[in-house]
Amino acid sequence: MTTVLRSRFLRPSSVLIAGVALASLLLPPLLDSGKQTVFVLFTLYVVVTVGLSLLMGLAGQISLGQAAFYALGAYTAGLLAKHGLPQLLALAAAPVGSAVVATLIGVPVLRLRGHYLAFATLAFQLIVLTILAEARGITGGDIGLGGIPPLLPVLNQGQDSELDLNSPLVYCYVGWLVAALVIVLTRNLVRSRPGRGLRALATSEIGAAASGVAVGADKLKVFTISAAYAGLAGGVYAFFLEYLSPGSFPILLSIQFIVMATLGGLGEVWGAVLGAAVIVLLVQVLQAAASQPGLPRQAPAILSYAAYGGVMVLVMLFLPAGLLPTLRQRLSRGRG
Amino acid sequence: MSALLQYLISGIATGCAFALVATGFVTIHRVTGVVNFAQGGFAILAGYVTFSALRAGLPHGVSELLAVLLATAAGGVVGVISIGRRGTPLLASLIITIGLGFLFYAVEVAIWGDQPLQFEGVPGVFSLAGLTLQRQYLLIVAGAVVSFAALLLFFNRTYLGKIFTACASNAYAARLAGINVTRVGIAAFAVGGLLGGLAGVLLLPLRSLTFDSDVDLAVNGFAAAIFGGLQRPGAALVGGLVIGVAEALVAGYSHASYQKGVSLVLIVGILVWQASRRAQAD
Repeated sequence: MTTVLRSRFLRPSSVLIAGVALASLLLPPLLDSGKQTVFVLFTLYVVVTVGLSLLMGLAGQISLGQAAFYALGAYTAGLLAKHGLPQLLALAAAPVGSAVVATLIGVPVLRLRGHYLAFATLAFQLIVLTILAEARGITGGDIGLGGIPPLLPVLNQGQDSELDLNSPLVYCYVGWLVAALVIVLTRNLVRSRPGRGLRALATSEIGAAASGVAVGADKLKVFTISAAYAGLAGGVYAFFLEYLSPGSFPILLSIQFIVMATLGGLGEVWGAVLGAAVIVLLVQVLQAAASQPGLPRQAPAILSYAAYGGVMVLVMLFLPAGLLPTLRQRLSRGRG
Repeated sequence: MSALLQYLISGIATGCAFALVATGFVTIHRVTGVVNFAQGGFAILAGYVTFSALRAGLPHGVSELLAVLLATAAGGVVGVISIGRRGTPLLASLIITIGLGFLFYAVEVAIWGDQPLQFEGVPGVFSLAGLTLQRQYLLIVAGAVVSFAALLLFFNRTYLGKIFTACASNAYAARLAGINVTRVGIAAFAVGGLLGGLAGVLLLPLRSLTFDSDVDLAVNGFAAAIFGGLQRPGAALVGGLVIGVAEALVAGYSHASYQKGVSLVLIVGILVWQASRRAQAD
């Protein structure tokens, strides 16, 4: 049992991790500011996907409303900061807000056996989008919420050496830091006692329950953690863009997180990173391809729907474990 | 008073269509355990096919029949892909149905574009108790009644229907009795496609046709389906009617944009209620 678990959750060598960390630290200055924005969003997607991957891989549940928790975190941070709370406190409140709401949904829904969470979270996201659009007095409605104060200070204000730290480049590193924090936290969590219980849960719910794992409570914990991650990422997003609107959090974004998690490998921390990277690159390629002259106006939509749908179907049929575990298996087989 | 009657009748009609979508969810879920996220897509596909068939000069009736047949075939294809491979876990099947829903989007946008389209149902109006109502409402109710009667006969009186029920109540025992459960599951998907297609050709003439309105249909259908815990078609019919009428009343007496919230709040409410009942049973 332990060998099975260990081999399934075998960690890539620390050399590889150091390499990835170093490369991702060196990359941002080489990018133009548009690509830096993509990099920032990539780090935030990593944070959300790591949480979703845990939920799907360990608790065996699927959330179609992860973008709603992302939105809740963003609006929590944005509204609090706009109304005078110090920015760092507002950012810290973002994951808390999402986690509290997730607990409220999770307590009843996760008690039911089966895949009710999927539709409950889809319904939840539609409700959140409606509320964000209708509560014009608070959220600005469809027009959006502007005027969110920047996260970082402006150094030497008014002098020649004035330096505004709120550039896309700096946010690349803010996002990197948040993603690194979440990755380390999650790796420790997966190895801790509740993490081991959850891994048992993923193998056999009945077996885990018989061995004393509090199945319901643990599922709820993972769901809450995944929502907190999404909220944290949303908080950074709010400060990065300084503007929020319900249109930035469509159902498609939730689906995108699911695609990233399944592609990388469910329940795999580094799989989530790989999945997010591949999908972000794929979207860039698709956008470039769809903007070729001579293509119909709907080409970008058709390509992205086909890509998301195709990846989900093909990965589930032919790479059910995901990219990372499959790659690892190939490598170890080649070595052995 | 006449306004109330108007809302009730239009609510019952749309509720019947939701009930058809819901029964598709239930039929598939009972046999396979999969919550089919492509369920709303069958209805939209049938709507688009009807639109094109009418455009091509085919008469009413033939166009709708063609659309429902294609939706049935689409249901079978979704079934083959999502459960046809041996040992596909439930979560994987569910994700595959989401993915196929998006492939529907890609195909639909490629063929019919992303702008709303409209096709005609039954023309004309009828009067009832001093109200003027669209004939299409009658057609929806009649179509739903006939479908439910046929389903009842199918499940209780035909050999294939009894095989469905056998797989639903105990897949293992059904396999021991020599039933190919996977094949029956694919047939259940085809029936789900048929029901979704029916809902599409009946309801969509009253609405505008866009590729992503399947979310609305699927959410309403799912809300109706969980009235019976995704297990009982009869409860799904009741659920569909309740949601249809509630939405019509909310849209009529308050703001139309709150209409969508009805099924969403119902979903969360019913789930909470079922969970609390389950907690007591435990």
